[in-house]
Amino acid sequence: MAAAERGAARPTGDNRTSRRRRRRREHCLRTSGLEPGALPGQSMRARAHVWPGRREAGAARGMGEFKVHRVRFFNYVPSGIRCVAYNNQSNRLAVSRTDGTVEIYNLSANYFQEKFFPGHESRATEALCWAAGQRLFSAGLNGEIIEYDLQALNIKYAVDAFGGPIWSMTTNPSGSQLLVGCEDGSVKLFQITPDKIQFERNFDRQKRSTIHKMIVDRQYMGVSKRKCIVWAVAFLSDGTVISADSAGKVQFWDSATGTLVKSHLITNADVQSIAVADQEDSFVVGTAEGTVFHFQLVPVTSNSNEKQWVRTKPFQHHTHDVRAVAHSPTALISGGTDTHLVIRPLMEKVEVKNYDAALRKITFPHRRLISCSKKRQLLLFQFAHHLELWRLGSTVATGKNGDTLPLSKNADHLLHLKTKGPENIICSSISPCGSWIAYSTASRFFLCRLNYEHDNISLKRVSKMPAFLRSALQILFSEDSTKLFVASNQGSLHVMQLVEGSFKHLHAFQPLSGTVEAMCLLAVSPDGNWLAASGTSAGVHVYNVKQLKLHCTVPAYNFPVTALAIAPSTNNLVIAHSDQQVFEYSIPDKQYTEWSRAVQKQGFHHLWLQRDTPITHISFHPKRPMHILLHDAYMFCIIDKSLPLPSDKTLLYNPLPPMNESDVVRRRTAHAFKISKIYKPLLFLDLLDERTLVAVERPLDDIIAQLPPPIKKKKFGT
Amino acid sequence: MVQLRPRASRTPASAEAMVDEGPPASEEEAEHGLLLGQPSSGAAAEPLEEDEEGDDEFDDEAPEELTFASAQVEAREEERRVWETVRRDKTLLKEKRKRREELFIEQKKRKLLPDTILEKLATASQTDIKKSPGKLKEVNLQKKNEECEKGSGSKKVKVQKVQSISQNKSYVALRLKDQDLRDSRQQAAQAFIHNSLYGPGTNRTTVNKFLSLANKRLPVKKAAAQFLNNAWGTQKKQNAKKFKRRWMIRRMKTPKK
Repeated sequence: MAAAERGAARPTGDNRTSRRRRRRREHCLRTSGLEPGALPGQSMRARAHVWPGRREAGAARGMGEFKVHRVRFFNYVPSGIRCVAYNNQSNRLAVSRTDGTVEIYNLSANYFQEKFFPGHESRATEALCWAAGQRLFSAGLNGEIIEYDLQALNIKYAVDAFGGPIWSMTTNPSGSQLLVGCEDGSVKLFQITPDKIQFERNFDRQKRSTIHKMIVDRQYMGVSKRKCIVWAVAFLSDGTVISADSAGKVQFWDSATGTLVKSHLITNADVQSIAVADQEDSFVVGTAEGTVFHFQLVPVTSNSNEKQWVRTKPFQHHTHDVRAVAHSPTALISGGTDTHLVIRPLMEKVEVKNYDAALRKITFPHRRLISCSKKRQLLLFQFAHHLELWRLGSTVATGKNGDTLPLSKNADHLLHLKTKGPENIICSSISPCGSWIAYSTASRFFLCRLNYEHDNISLKRVSKMPAFLRSALQILFSEDSTKLFVASNQGSLHVMQLVEGSFKHLHAFQPLSGTVEAMCLLAVSPDGNWLAASGTSAGVHVYNVKQLKLHCTVPAYNFPVTALAIAPSTNNLVIAHSDQQVFEYSIPDKQYTEWSRAVQKQGFHHLWLQRDTPITHISFHPKRPMHILLHDAYMFCIIDKSLPLPSDKTLLYNPLPPMNESDVVRRRTAHAFKISKIYKPLLFLDLLDERTLVAVERPLDDIIAQLPPPIKKKKFGT
Repeated sequence: MVQLRPRASRTPASAEAMVDEGPPASEEEAEHGLLLGQPSSGAAAEPLEEDEEGDDEFDDEAPEELTFASAQVEAREEERRVWETVRRDKTLLKEKRKRREELFIEQKKRKLLPDTILEKLATASQTDIKKSPGKLKEVNLQKKNEECEKGSGSKKVKVQKVQSISQNKSYVALRLKDQDLRDSRQQAAQAFIHNSLYGPGTNRTTVNKFLSLANKRLPVKKAAAQFLNNAWGTQKKQNAKKFKRRWMIRRMKTPKK
């Protein structure tokens, strides 16, 4: 289109006319019901269809033209957040979801999700708390207290409390004892020993005065039309008890006299969660309408000593119930059924008012859930309990830049593979040739062989897996599909050779020194010689696959690695960190490349560093060694190493220079980072071959449409 | 019940015969009375027949003389015979039932775990009930620990050992009764939460309506977020598709004229 005529860089998000036209087209297709591949009874699938390729014109400098497969049939719905626990010493947040997954976010590393524990169907977590020494405990409706091992990334043990379903749990201020409130009305005290927890005492309902901070389970209070349920209770050290109930009231009680001191009616819906700050001068409550209220202890008049609790700020960042809130010294954290994790720094508590003090909303996963087989144009989608294999559609039409091409063959749902057992899938991968699928749960590892005859596909599972291969944190196939690399959760890295219908274990790289900091990521070079593995505090290790020994280690960086890839011909290792830094390390030379040093010297553009979401995938163009393609949830970028780097003053999101500017000016303003925001939110983007890209999008509306029902809001005029 | 047999026409019994049946009639009646307990038509009618036949053929002779004692003996023997058959039947039935029960027990035993494990579990549960709660948990924890350790220990040991049939090496035993109870409580708790959040009386609306509220208040009113209901009439649509396919096939089959 016009952009191509001007020979400028790729059209970016500020090309408003094309965007408007595109939206109208989307709308027409939807309302007339012309959706290819619509399945009855599955409304979400019917709306999400393969969009035919869009031709994109690149810059005159050989960015290239691509056909883009725009995929929207990945029906990814995250589970709602149930509990949130904040750890002050390490500035980490533990989040537990309704399917049993527990995720650990490092708030100082740009809010990156560094570790997670896969879920389990029978685990209905109701409470999560941190104890002394960075130990994480959770308790649920199955009556068990579970401790998570943050180094081995598995569950250390599960202790049955023998009181029925556990409704709440907390620790004492020093973190050495654990209190658990059970269904049968008893409160049990556990002593936390270095290895395990040990039962100490059983409290009856009356002896509550000996306990400091306690969060008690449901009670039935006062009958109005419908029984009022107290969802959360907090006990302050001066004897005030704060309760949040389903009538929308936040009530303050005096524990010494047992009377109601003050009652605030803040909403019509339920108030579902309370979190009190450490200094006990403010607390936050979450309601079922999605509003989060901040209460503060404020002096009555400006110079009096008397203080009272006042509702200060409402925040509306959620659409559904807010079932978990936490209060860190500087921020309010909330999470609920709408699956967003919202971290709102409080302006009066934040010292430096820069971009770090902005609202953070974490919606999309920080790891890759999709793998791609380039030869056969297959996509493997990973869900919690099953895998789906799709073949991309194809088109024979051609068009100009910005056209939508009609599909001659629709996308095909080839395989729906369900796991046995109640556990969630941790990781999965498909080989580049498309004949092997490997996936792993917390206790088993599965390897399957696929056979293609004409249009049919048949699956055969490899039955005998070795005993040492129980669960894997990351799986990767080599480019020629002859080797399989598995990072097991004991820290070791296994290399297996794949022969006709089975495998042979070649070697196991033992874990080296260093603590586990994040989930392991793997990358293999296209020629099959080098294997890179990240995740420990020692840095990224590079192994020589042919000689089966450690080659070198990239120096450690204090932010975790979010994506890893090795370039085809130059064997440069490109590493992306959670603070949006990108490094390039040459493996044969065992040092950083020239370009990487230049980038570090100049520094990245400030807008690049202020991006919210981490880079989840890096790939390369087979014919253009100077290009690196990477993407995060809201943009994708091609870095052209031959072009100059942008300084802080130039515009990052490359504008289209006006027509009357001379060629010289155009060349001066163009820089190495070609960013496009056309496809968002992106879950995955990769190069299929030299002229084709595949972009898997997941519009937020499609996720919201599958969530549980929200509270009814009455708006005037509707 | 006495069967009604076609009686031979008999001469009206002479009054003498009727009357003479007096004393022997008492014995016959005694027999009759006994035999009425087991109604066999033959037996009840026999004496009458005999008498009749006797009457018909040997009209002139006097009826048979049956002494009371012999009749009594006969009656008692009958009784005894009948009682014995009944007893034999009962014993036969009893034996049958016994055999069947034994068979069932055998089958059940085959399904159960070997005795040793059951004993272990039984003793463990008994000690649970007896000891105090504190110790109880420790014992159970220990036991579970042991089993877990043994289970995991075997895994660390070489692969071949896992396949050995030794008892406490490769699995952890759970009492199903406890598990069921635990599951039901968990279900009840989850149902309670679901009911209080989404049950009757809560003010919930569908996601479609929620997202369309904004559309309704725009200056240019837009349609709802999910305007189409793709789940409508799925059965009708499927039937229509099948009919169309069949019709096309039929169309192809008939030769084109």
